[in-house]
Amino acid sequence: MPWRRLAITIFVIAPVLALLAYGFRRDSRYIVSPLIAKPATPFTVTLFDGRKLTLDDLRGKAIFINFWASWCLPCREEARDLEAAWQKVKDKNMVFLGVALQDTDKNSSEFLKEFNVSYPNGKDESGKIGVDYGTWGIPESFFIDPQGRITYKHVGGIRAALVIAKLEEAAKGIVSAQEGKGDYSAVR
Amino acid sequence: MKTMSPSTLFAIFALLVLFVHPLHAATAPDLDDQTRAVATELRCVVCQNLSVADSPSEMAQQMRAIVREQLQAGKSPDEIKAFFVSKYGEWVLLKPKTTGFSALLWILPYVVLVLGVSAALWFVRRWVARKKNAEQSAAPAPVSQQIRAELLRKNVEEPDLEDASAKAQLLRERARLRNELIDLDFDFQSGKLSESDYTGLKQEIETKAGTVIQQLGSLPPEPAAKPAPAGKSRARDVKVNANPSQFRRWQIIAGGTFLMLFGLALGVMLTKSVRPRESENDTMTGDFLTGTNSSSVEVRAALNEGKQAFGNQDFPKAIEAFKKVLAADPNNPEAHSYMGFILVQAGHGDGALMAFDKALSQAPNFPMALWGKGMVLYQDKKDFAGARQILERLLNMLPAGEQRNEIVKVLAEIPTTGGNSTQSAATEKTQTAAAPSSAQISGKITIDAKLKANVDPNAALFIIARPGGGAGGPPLAVKKIDKPVFPLTYSLSQENVMMQGTPFTGKINLTVRLDKDGNPVTRTPGDMTGEYKKNPAEVGTKNVDVVIDQVMQ
Repeated sequence: MPWRRLAITIFVIAPVLALLAYGFRRDSRYIVSPLIAKPATPFTVTLFDGRKLTLDDLRGKAIFINFWASWCLPCREEARDLEAAWQKVKDKNMVFLGVALQDTDKNSSEFLKEFNVSYPNGKDESGKIGVDYGTWGIPESFFIDPQGRITYKHVGGIRAALVIAKLEEAAKGIVSAQEGKGDYSAVR
Repeated sequence: MKTMSPSTLFAIFALLVLFVHPLHAATAPDLDDQTRAVATELRCVVCQNLSVADSPSEMAQQMRAIVREQLQAGKSPDEIKAFFVSKYGEWVLLKPKTTGFSALLWILPYVVLVLGVSAALWFVRRWVARKKNAEQSAAPAPVSQQIRAELLRKNVEEPDLEDASAKAQLLRERARLRNELIDLDFDFQSGKLSESDYTGLKQEIETKAGTVIQQLGSLPPEPAAKPAPAGKSRARDVKVNANPSQFRRWQIIAGGTFLMLFGLALGVMLTKSVRPRESENDTMTGDFLTGTNSSSVEVRAALNEGKQAFGNQDFPKAIEAFKKVLAADPNNPEAHSYMGFILVQAGHGDGALMAFDKALSQAPNFPMALWGKGMVLYQDKKDFAGARQILERLLNMLPAGEQRNEIVKVLAEIPTTGGNSTQSAATEKTQTAAAPSSAQISGKITIDAKLKANVDPNAALFIIARPGGGAGGPPLAVKKIDKPVFPLTYSLSQENVMMQGTPFTGKINLTVRLDKDGNPVTRTPGDMTGEYKKNPAEVGTKNVDVVIDQVMQ
């Protein structure tokens, strides 16, 4: 029964090869972040206007945190959308916070001025906040519910409508199992 | 087959584990060494399979600083690794954990190895045993068995019932004994006979059969002894025996080919996965399996070569290089953009716009293509509104810097009113279309009968008019016709001029090219050309007929 033996051999080898091909094709960075549904790591950031802001100060509100840099093209593409979304929700129990990564104060300030960003923005001096949130491609956005739990993560540019929708979900404590994806720049 | 005892398997496994994990000397390293040791086990999250210790990236530097800080704070390497895993997931570890589900990754290879070695041993033993059996079966069998085998052999000569010859009688006797033996076997198997009766009767039949077979063998050979059936039978026997060995040979070839391809694929994948990432769009495996040809080594090399040639203003060389890139990756926006700039240099505004649009159709925010399109619209087409729109889009994307300042400067230069909007260009086209026939040149284009068979049905036809007095230099007017059908009637007029405002008058040299790749800049072997035999021709002339009769080598 040589043909039967051959069929069995193929039956055994094919799944191994398929698994191997799948593994090589898959970008491990898109494996769902372990941060989803976990409490957001607290941090304190110095804002560009000199004030200090602590995440714990915002407890009780739905929070949108956006990691960005002035050199990142997708960050520039989404900047106006984020400001538009902020204008729509600023009177609700929601808050926006921008965190600049791997950027100079001058360039960051020019960026904020250029896009008329009015929500609070600060700088991650040592890169620790970025690591605490597992960032690798910016813009990267996190949504946190009033209890301080991360409900959604989006790697890459995001649109105003999605920001508002996910913030509303966060306000209700709804956790998204899937991460969002868009165009991104790898952090340096 | 004799199976391997569990203790032997355990010994092999333990040996393998010890071999792979040699014991390390338990010395106390300093902080730098400790930092490096931990960083070596962490994956740089922005690199291509590089460790945090080996990566020069800013992110890796920050991660190393965190490792150092946590070591200083008294955390153990395991706690630090657990910290990074809690932020990024287990993929941040270059060596997966040896507990839980990840333990499978460590155990499975050894299990597979042990299974593989066991399977190999089993196959070898079986092979040896088969060979031994084959040798044994080739050795002479006991006489009674030989007689029995001969008696029960199929494909023997059938006895002729009417033949009274000695041979026929012997054959009939053999057939009778054969049937008797079969009946005896059947009776014994069905339990009608005791073993002792069976043995006795069997011996009796075999003795008689031995005598008959011997007598048959001692008969003189007959000249026409029907050799065909015996030959056929032998051939069939040979065929039956040859099949397994042929199949085994086929199996060995297939197995060898598979192993070679598997090793090759694995080698390629591994070498491609251990390298710095080209860009944020680069994949973990490079171009292999992912279809992203743009990141292949050859395409990158050709792209770099093209850019260098472009920088040195060696346009023919640059064109060749970008053509190579586009052959491998037809949607490469960078190559299309550079082609666009080369066309701008050659004064082909329309071609350049096409190239930039092609780049933008693949990457809508590709800065280089936006810049090129904006500048062509501004300077060549005088479409100020269109240029402003494109350049403002680019301005919105670019960070502060020299490039951005340059765009601001250009935007300030572009007049806010006037120029040719898309609307006005259309109007102009309508007007030129209505221009008198004296401002055009027309005729018929045919293919030489010898070349008709070589025509590529997807080729594009370029009808090129250059100012009279020379065959070189930038064209005055060009018309492109996709998938032309010959004979083809054409006309070239003011609306086909390359530079807006240049009058389509005077003497022109008319040439045509049937271009296989449809790219006006590139020349591909197999492209066909032809020219007006009475060049130059005066604009306004009719019947400027061209025969395509040359093939580019």
